[in-house]
Amino acid sequence: MIVIIDYGVGNLASVQNAFRQAGFSSVITSEPEQILKARRIVLPGVGAFADGMSSLEKMGLTGVIFEAVQKEIPLLGICLGMQMLFSTSEEAGLHRGLDLIPGKVRRFQLPASYKVPHMGWNSIRVADNSRLFKDIPSGSYVYFVHSFYTEPEDPQVSTAVSAYGIEFTCAVEKGNIFGTQFHPEKSGQVGLRVLRNFGELKA
Amino acid sequence: MTIYPAIDLKDGHCVRLVQGKLTNQTVYSSAPADVARRFQQQGARWLHIVDLDGAFTGTPANLKAIEAIADAVTIPFQVGGGLRRISDVEQMLQAGASRVIIGTRAVEGPDFIKQLLDEFGNERIVLGLDARDGKVAVQGWVETVEMTAIELGKQMQQLGIKTAVYTDVSRDGLLSGPNLEAIRQVAINTGLSIIASGGISSVEHINALRDMEADGVVGAIIGKALYEGKLTMAQALAAAKTKK
Repeated sequence: MIVIIDYGVGNLASVQNAFRQAGFSSVITSEPEQILKARRIVLPGVGAFADGMSSLEKMGLTGVIFEAVQKEIPLLGICLGMQMLFSTSEEAGLHRGLDLIPGKVRRFQLPASYKVPHMGWNSIRVADNSRLFKDIPSGSYVYFVHSFYTEPEDPQVSTAVSAYGIEFTCAVEKGNIFGTQFHPEKSGQVGLRVLRNFGELKA
Repeated sequence: MTIYPAIDLKDGHCVRLVQGKLTNQTVYSSAPADVARRFQQQGARWLHIVDLDGAFTGTPANLKAIEAIADAVTIPFQVGGGLRRISDVEQMLQAGASRVIIGTRAVEGPDFIKQLLDEFGNERIVLGLDARDGKVAVQGWVETVEMTAIELGKQMQQLGIKTAVYTDVSRDGLLSGPNLEAIRQVAINTGLSIIASGGISSVEHINALRDMEADGVVGAIIGKALYEGKLTMAQALAAAKTKK
């Protein structure tokens, strides 16, 4: 079963709905037991970094996520969910993340002609060996809504990049930990393929 | 340029009107979610959804159908029609809309738009600029007011609005081609990113709009031409591709 972690932020139904269309049933829950029994875990998220982290902590879910990672249950962070996998974020002060992927979350510093948030469809360039992007060619378009981007310490974990004023990492893979800055649940057929790859990958 | 296939909702059905008149209505499907899914499968990256009952009555009336569409697709969509209260906008975004379109209420004064921009930001709030003979049309296009589309667009741009759907009411549902010069004038004189609507029904129309990208034309809404088979999604998408 795919478990979508409910920590009180965002519209999780769209994620569940997209997994259904990709061929996978899922549950939305904040129950540690259910999360730890999952075959796959999804950490979604919209909103501010600090709010997201503090919700996870208040609900006792950070420890659950660490345990799940130790058990090597594949984990997919989406948007804020991906950002929270990183060490720190400079959104509204400096905040600690889950530190599962060493690196920083940074604010776009762009000329005024670039509106922030970066919102809309944009093309991506994909690394050859990515498991999440199996059968997805570079040049595919996906849907973004974000004002911050991730900067992994190890460039090897970056499996897709996009460009908005600067080139930035828009997907990561490290062992069984995955993240997408874009919203696969809003990215049409390409997004469904990402979710299917995540559902089908060999852990 | 982005192609927005249109789904107009009336009593839960997918319909098309001619020039916005209720007496001139064709029902294309009783399952709008299926229509939405088909557009996605054909490659659409956005959907444009209009709650016609909402537009005429001032109260959103097709929420069930819109939620069904949200369940059926995994692409973003924008919704307009009857959004006159903050709570309507909230409800629509909650239902899964990525953007909402505000028309009539924008005309009634800047306060409402200001409030919406503060709350949701200009990526989620789109101006609905509906014009008949250059004058702004409101209340489901039944009324026009003594303000030009360019005047309203400028005013809203200064408030922080970034994108507008510009519809030429007299062309809508007629397949007669868009009023290109009017669209260009609105784009240039308001500084808004313009999604054009009304009468767009051929590859040539889309090519002409695409050539106005530098003026600020960012999208084309296509309705009847897709339903009547005058134009396929594939043709529309190919024509809209930015020349490199």
